[in-house]
Amino acid sequence: MTKKILLSTTLACLTFTAGAAQAEDTVFVGHLADMSGPTAFVGKPYADGVRDALAYINAHGGIDGTKLEYETIDYAYKVPQAIASYKKWLSRKNMVAMQGWGTADTEALISFAAKDKTPIFSASYSGHLTDPKGKNPKTTKPAPYNFFYGASYSDACRGLVQWAADDWKAKGGKGKPKFTHIGANHPFPNAPKEACAEYATELGFDVQPSVVISMKPGDFKAQCLSLKSSGTNYGYIGNLGGSVQSLIKSCDTVGTDIQFMSNIWGGDKLVFKAAGEGVRNYIFPTMTPFWTDDVPGMKLVREISKMSDSTGTEERLHHYIRGVCSTYFMKESMEWAKANGGITGENVKKGMYAHKNWVPKGLEGVCLAATWTPEDHRGINQVNIYKGNFNHGDIKVEKVNQVTLERRTDWLGY
Amino acid sequence: MSSLAMRPCGDFRTSYKADNTIFETKTIRLVTCLVIALACAAPLVLDGYFLTLFIQISYLGIAALGLNILVGFTGQISLGHGAFFGFGAFASAWLNTSFNIPVVFCIPLAGFLTMGVGMMFGMPAARIKGLYLAIATLAAQFIIQDFFGRAEWFTGGASGAMAAPVSLFGFDFDTDMSFYFIALFALVFMYIWGCNLMRSRDGRAFVAVRDHYLSAEIMGVKLNKYRLLSFGISSFYAGIGGALYGHYLGYVSSEGFTILMSIQFLAMVIIGGLGSIKGTLMGVVFMVLLPEVLEGMVGLMKYTDYGNLPMVTDGLAYIKEMAIGLVIILFLIFEPEGLAHRWGQIKNYWKCYPFAY
Repeated sequence: MTKKILLSTTLACLTFTAGAAQAEDTVFVGHLADMSGPTAFVGKPYADGVRDALAYINAHGGIDGTKLEYETIDYAYKVPQAIASYKKWLSRKNMVAMQGWGTADTEALISFAAKDKTPIFSASYSGHLTDPKGKNPKTTKPAPYNFFYGASYSDACRGLVQWAADDWKAKGGKGKPKFTHIGANHPFPNAPKEACAEYATELGFDVQPSVVISMKPGDFKAQCLSLKSSGTNYGYIGNLGGSVQSLIKSCDTVGTDIQFMSNIWGGDKLVFKAAGEGVRNYIFPTMTPFWTDDVPGMKLVREISKMSDSTGTEERLHHYIRGVCSTYFMKESMEWAKANGGITGENVKKGMYAHKNWVPKGLEGVCLAATWTPEDHRGINQVNIYKGNFNHGDIKVEKVNQVTLERRTDWLGY
Repeated sequence: MSSLAMRPCGDFRTSYKADNTIFETKTIRLVTCLVIALACAAPLVLDGYFLTLFIQISYLGIAALGLNILVGFTGQISLGHGAFFGFGAFASAWLNTSFNIPVVFCIPLAGFLTMGVGMMFGMPAARIKGLYLAIATLAAQFIIQDFFGRAEWFTGGASGAMAAPVSLFGFDFDTDMSFYFIALFALVFMYIWGCNLMRSRDGRAFVAVRDHYLSAEIMGVKLNKYRLLSFGISSFYAGIGGALYGHYLGYVSSEGFTILMSIQFLAMVIIGGLGSIKGTLMGVVFMVLLPEVLEGMVGLMKYTDYGNLPMVTDGLAYIKEMAIGLVIILFLIFEPEGLAHRWGQIKNYWKCYPFAY
């Protein structure tokens, strides 16, 4: 009995790990997603966006006739699993580009991507991924093959701070407004901390010591009380999902009077629905319009959404639309690569530099115009600022402003 | 005794030397040497994917052996092993970038640094045991993890730390194939060291502390010393494993070294077999390959008509996560002594085949 089990498992291991595929005029794109791990809250909609976009591209002629072969792996935010998947794709499938996900996998793969010349399009918007040549002395690791669609966490936070400074003036506030960073002590919430505090000081804010709340949902009344006692006017939230909901609820109970501004992953309709009455004039950045907005490019997004939701009734979050944009920028750089020497990782990277102020065809009004250069991977320097209100259950999200940031050299890679 | 090719029925060891041998029979020694020789030639036939898996098995295996020395041999518990693993990774990167020490020396130095930290957090171990110790080591996990986020001079804070590749005589071990040999060497070296440790006076003291600490103390084994030493050795192994991990990736970010990693190490040790060195390796191989095999199944499903639906593939992704939990529970129920014990039973079955007694 035992030996039979042993034999069959060994055989199973061998066959399953050795599964290979033949390709005729296809290129392989890997897709790492977190659909069951700690960031699944936003990881699932983003992954759906990428997956639907890839399927849609294939259904409509691929990359000028070259089909995309792709595989989605739910790595549950585990680094070793991400590395193994990356290596498998690279050695077995000849991967030309990868759609990645979070801080953990993206940072672990920076050196590999550079060595293997495989562009990685991540949903980690860390500022230090934007310095491909290590020009800024603060850059620890140049990331030449990392791209992402959106303003970096630091730039988005700078945009929010810029908005806050105007808001303070408009409200007729007196003296220095107080600014506090709220988030867990992890690379993701910490990424914009220093950069944003620096700019806030520059704009005349009184930057308070940051308040640490856990990444996991919990009771944050103590933290809200300390926010209250410090008299914080503007609070930047670095966390996402359940943790943000808990924070809003706790602070609502405590009765703080803070203008919350969150990072891009911390504000969407699901969060507002769950957080309830505490969501009052909640400010958050986006890089795309909302599902219900009426812009020309949304027609294509709605078609793409039908790939996994044939009824077309599901209302997608803005994370989904960002996933579509990320995939479409990759698609167009692949088209350039195909016309200029074939789709290889190196050419796809060059394709990213081929255009200026560039919006993928069909997504006008959805994706912001982006410019990547060999020295500067800050594709987007614009931030849409939106305001969310719970409004007794009738959730309202409206655009407040669009902030354009300078591409300052001292902000490169940080 | 060691000249025998097969294991005899019964225990006939008459000298300490025979009792202390690493390889019980000639065959085992031969097979081990053969496996290592084959492993050296493996990169000629294996592709990058398998090499990555092997490299993963070796750095996790080294760290897991440390935990087994602590949990399986000394009877202590640690829920902070993942953090020590991370500390080793950062320490090695930090030593290399701050003091320009060559990476080959940084790795053992990082081991010793981690050992120091581990002994510091192990100090309560001399006084408390059981659940209380578990909580004390849990605290170590959180303290070290928070330290990673704050100590910018050491970890680079949010932007992480860069780890240069291992370099010997001007040759950089920065590809999978070249790093494979570093990993293989480290794995064999650390496992032989582990075997030897367990044959020594200190190793026997660990086992005595585990089996009956009161008797051990009466016999003259210093409990405090050996409990602390066990923590030190365990963290040393974690540090070496972590350092290899860091230099393999070329970049260390504090993102991965969470309590989940610590628990995963515990799971490896329990599945492999507490108090067994070869079992540790089996547990690690099992835990590394399990998600890959399940992933392969999802991949095969995708080639069939019925399988290529988002519902099926996404569903299997969830099953993959649950399978790991399920496996741990099943092992605890049906094979509490781990894979090592199962292996022993398989060997016993064949040894007397077809006349099992």
